Amino acid sequence: MTESINTINTTPFSRIFKPKELEGYRKDLLSKNDPNGPKVLVCCGPGCQPSGSIEVAEELKKAVAEAGWNGKVIPQIKMTGCHGLCSKGPLVTIEPDGIFYQKVKPKDVSEIVEKTLLNGELIKRLEYKNPATKQTHSHTKDIPFYNRQTRLVLKNIGHIDPFDINDAIMRGAYSGLAKALSEMMPGQIISEVKASGLRGRGGAGFSTGVKWESCASYPGDRFIICNADEGDPGAFMDRALLEGDPHSVLEGMALAALAIGSERGYLYVRLEYPLAVKTLIQGIRQAEELGLLGKNIMGTGFNFELSISRGAGAFVCGESSALMSSLEGKVGRPRPKYIRSVEKGFRDSPSNLNNVETYANISDIILNGSKWYKDQGTEESAGTKVFSLTGNTYNIGLVEVPMGTSLREMVYEIGGGIPKKREFKAVQTGGPSGGCIPKQFLDTPVAFGSLAKVGSIMGSGGMIVLDEDNCMVEIARYFTHFLVEESCGQCTPCREGLIRMLEILNRITKGEGREGDIDTLEELGKFMTDFSLCGLGTSAGNPVLSTIKYFREEYEVHIQKKKCPAGVCKPLFNYSIDANECTGCGKCRLRCPVNAITGEKKKPHTINRELCIKCNECYKGCDFRSIMII
Amino acid sequence: MAAIEVKYQEPEIDFTLIDRIIRDDYGGNKENLIMMMQAIQKQYRYLPYPALKYLSDFIGIPFTKIYEIATFYASFCLEPKGKHIVSICTGTACHLKGGGQMVEHLCQKMGIQPGKTTPDMKLTIETVNCLGACAVAPVVVIDEKYNPEADLSLLNDFIDRLKAE
Amino acid sequence: MKTLKIILNGKETTAKPDQTILEVATENGVFIPTLCHSTALEPAAMCRLCMVELTEGRRTKFVTSCNYPLRQDAEIKTDTEVIRRGRKMIIELLMARCPDSDELKRLAGEYGANLSRFEPLNDDCVVCGLCARVCEKVGGKTLTLSGRGVHIKVNTAFGEASPYCIGCGACVQICPVNAIKIEDVEDERVITIHGKEAARIKLNHCDTCNKYYGPVIDLTKVMERLGEKTIPPPNLNLCPACARQKLGKRIADRYYDVY
Repeated sequence: MTESINTINTTPFSRIFKPKELEGYRKDLLSKNDPNGPKVLVCCGPGCQPSGSIEVAEELKKAVAEAGWNGKVIPQIKMTGCHGLCSKGPLVTIEPDGIFYQKVKPKDVSEIVEKTLLNGELIKRLEYKNPATKQTHSHTKDIPFYNRQTRLVLKNIGHIDPFDINDAIMRGAYSGLAKALSEMMPGQIISEVKASGLRGRGGAGFSTGVKWESCASYPGDRFIICNADEGDPGAFMDRALLEGDPHSVLEGMALAALAIGSERGYLYVRLEYPLAVKTLIQGIRQAEELGLLGKNIMGTGFNFELSISRGAGAFVCGESSALMSSLEGKVGRPRPKYIRSVEKGFRDSPSNLNNVETYANISDIILNGSKWYKDQGTEESAGTKVFSLTGNTYNIGLVEVPMGTSLREMVYEIGGGIPKKREFKAVQTGGPSGGCIPKQFLDTPVAFGSLAKVGSIMGSGGMIVLDEDNCMVEIARYFTHFLVEESCGQCTPCREGLIRMLEILNRITKGEGREGDIDTLEELGKFMTDFSLCGLGTSAGNPVLSTIKYFREEYEVHIQKKKCPAGVCKPLFNYSIDANECTGCGKCRLRCPVNAITGEKKKPHTINRELCIKCNECYKGCDFRSIMII
Repeated sequence: MAAIEVKYQEPEIDFTLIDRIIRDDYGGNKENLIMMMQAIQKQYRYLPYPALKYLSDFIGIPFTKIYEIATFYASFCLEPKGKHIVSICTGTACHLKGGGQMVEHLCQKMGIQPGKTTPDMKLTIETVNCLGACAVAPVVVIDEKYNPEADLSLLNDFIDRLKAE
Repeated sequence: MKTLKIILNGKETTAKPDQTILEVATENGVFIPTLCHSTALEPAAMCRLCMVELTEGRRTKFVTSCNYPLRQDAEIKTDTEVIRRGRKMIIELLMARCPDSDELKRLAGEYGANLSRFEPLNDDCVVCGLCARVCEKVGGKTLTLSGRGVHIKVNTAFGEASPYCIGCGACVQICPVNAIKIEDVEDERVITIHGKEAARIKLNHCDTCNKYYGPVIDLTKVMERLGEKTIPPPNLNLCPACARQKLGKRIADRYYDVY
């Protein structure tokens, strides 16, 4: 990401010498940079960037520079982090009115400048279309995807330039740290976090305050570690946080260091997130220059030095003891945690490890108080949670809701429901450690306990919506295959159990399932849960066990009838066109890459089974649901 | 004598560069071993045997341990990569939208397994377990350029360009 | 020091804080099967065969007895139905890896394991890690577990014959399934793993008995590791047996001359 066209007006970085000076610095920034001035915010998040949003931003900069403003205030062009509604990207938001434009291409830019920026006119074709009402919405506040959310952790993402600390400070960054440094003792910080009810957002859901208190009680050099090894496929919440609002995480870590009594922190960032490393390095550097991190923070004598360590391609390094091993330059093999890492962790010293999102929650808890946080969410799961909603919904992207929101609301109100009139089948939560939740549990509230009760877990926030065209046996096989590749291989149950489960699932999806396979899968799954060494192993059976629990008939059809009703396992189905439904539009014939479909215009078409490679193109494209799976 | 069949030309190792990486960039600190190896791999596009041997001697970590680390982490490669690298994301969202099919298709057309390089050293096919761009699944990265909502025709175009080289 | 009250398989006993369950069980004559454990090494808890049921306070959980440190009063059950089923499964899974292992066959008999439940992999290693651990501790640091997941295997660097091996044979001795072979052939000691040569070490020649002994260990390095000053190199042309004979003769000559 390059610098914004208008760098924020300020005197060159001057240090903050006292915590109370931060407020003055912030007010000074606000007086020189009108927060309500005209701005064009271009999303450069993980979804929009590959779709060309940077080119859109470059075009905007050029067009705005060349336009005739006639005395009007020239809008700032900002390249920001993730705006959230990723499936409709590239996204552009125009402030202060909150105009929302989707699927913006570079060729749309001149029209945006002419019509909207110069003359306040809206461009209908760039507006969001509500799938339920078929209406278009021109403003973010009218879009259900946004107005049904409670964006607290995500509040700055999409509004600030992540490479400019002053942008973050204007919106309150480091004010929590300043307050804690001037008004609170370490014990008080821990009490506040405990009272807030915040539980780990990485998946385990352990009470953050209790963990901090425990770590503080052990003597020795203490370390603050951030787990930024977001490995769950389908999850990109942490990525958006690190790339969109890095200071929320850095400030959270500094508060942890202050509370627990530590001077050293590490962020362990996945190898696949190079942009996150850039925003973090820049953020740390700018914060140190200002005296907000590093030595003698805000003149109080509190030191906190941060380093960044890169992962090297191992999902298992998201496990806390494996992560610490990797931080020490060793292989990332988990160790049995009978002695907790808060007692003996990194370098055999007391270490506090928390997830990115957990740290991002801390500053607001300190600023607004624990009661404010506890009042949100549910009794046992306070606060909000960020989810990455993907799979088969109209709206795909980042969603933040209070704990206790129902799955139904997430899939239908926020997600917009399932496209192409397909039937909902299940929601997969918690990544490879989680399970599939079927239709009958759609009203389950999203919270730690309630998700566990229906056989899944909260996990880090990945939420994948599956419909009738997805095969649950194949989903189980996919996750098992993922775990086989990522298992460290140390312990017998995980290493051997997973590969045997995969063998069985491969046979079943090829039509070679046998009597007794389901029982063996259940036995292996339960065995791995009880006997494995680490969390990866003990939860490795979940995808298989939960799909067998709720979709046993689908397994049985695969094994006994050698058929895949969802039309996914290629050897177990064929496509056939229903002559009564087919309108002869010819779309399938054109999409077929091997010319297996023949037919005349307006007459029913036929599929030649000999040629058909079951690539799914015809089925995907048919608007009349006339292609059957038999 | 290396047990790996050397069918390629091993590069000239610049040992002063490796000195710089170990000593200056990473302070000779054993904890930074993984990042040192990443820096060496960035330079040569893989981890050459002599470079690893040198690293082992310089920093005082048994050669076996370095091999253990190089084979544990998926991003490390002990064989040179091809001129072009295609990484296909196999995360859940991409898998649901046909990522698996694309892997099969490309591997079948180029005659190699995922993780391997073509004999003429032109192409390496890799799979990645989630790039974090799930909203625009399926994602294929060709020579570090992200291609959102990729399909078979994108791959076919690439194969054609490759054959024309 | 506080003593912990432990109920082991229904019998009352005591333990010292931080003692492992396995230690307490051994002291009390209760047998728990292990595969990857050696009293000479730090426990790895990899095979999971030694798992037991532990109740501390109100929580009951499964833990490995080789490395679980007891810190409060507890009840331990080493042989419940679930435990036995789990051990049976471990053996069945490992038998599929190494169908020919005698040790596994013995365990299989005890737990009623079905020897051909899974498709055999025809390996000879149970990946207990003992060889790599002992090599790191006392040997030449030549063995490791390379790779990950199902590809994990005992290996030397790059799979080549290792020049760092000191030929001590600790790996051979500690392997519970006799997967590592050692053989002295002429003037060389050959160590074989997975049917491949892992190390070939030169042996010394004894000029007195004309046999080979060894291996040739670089004593300078050993003394350095011990932190001792280097000693003058010993006479390598004399094997320990002949050296003992020579010394014995010298003692006999000196002290029995009188008679």
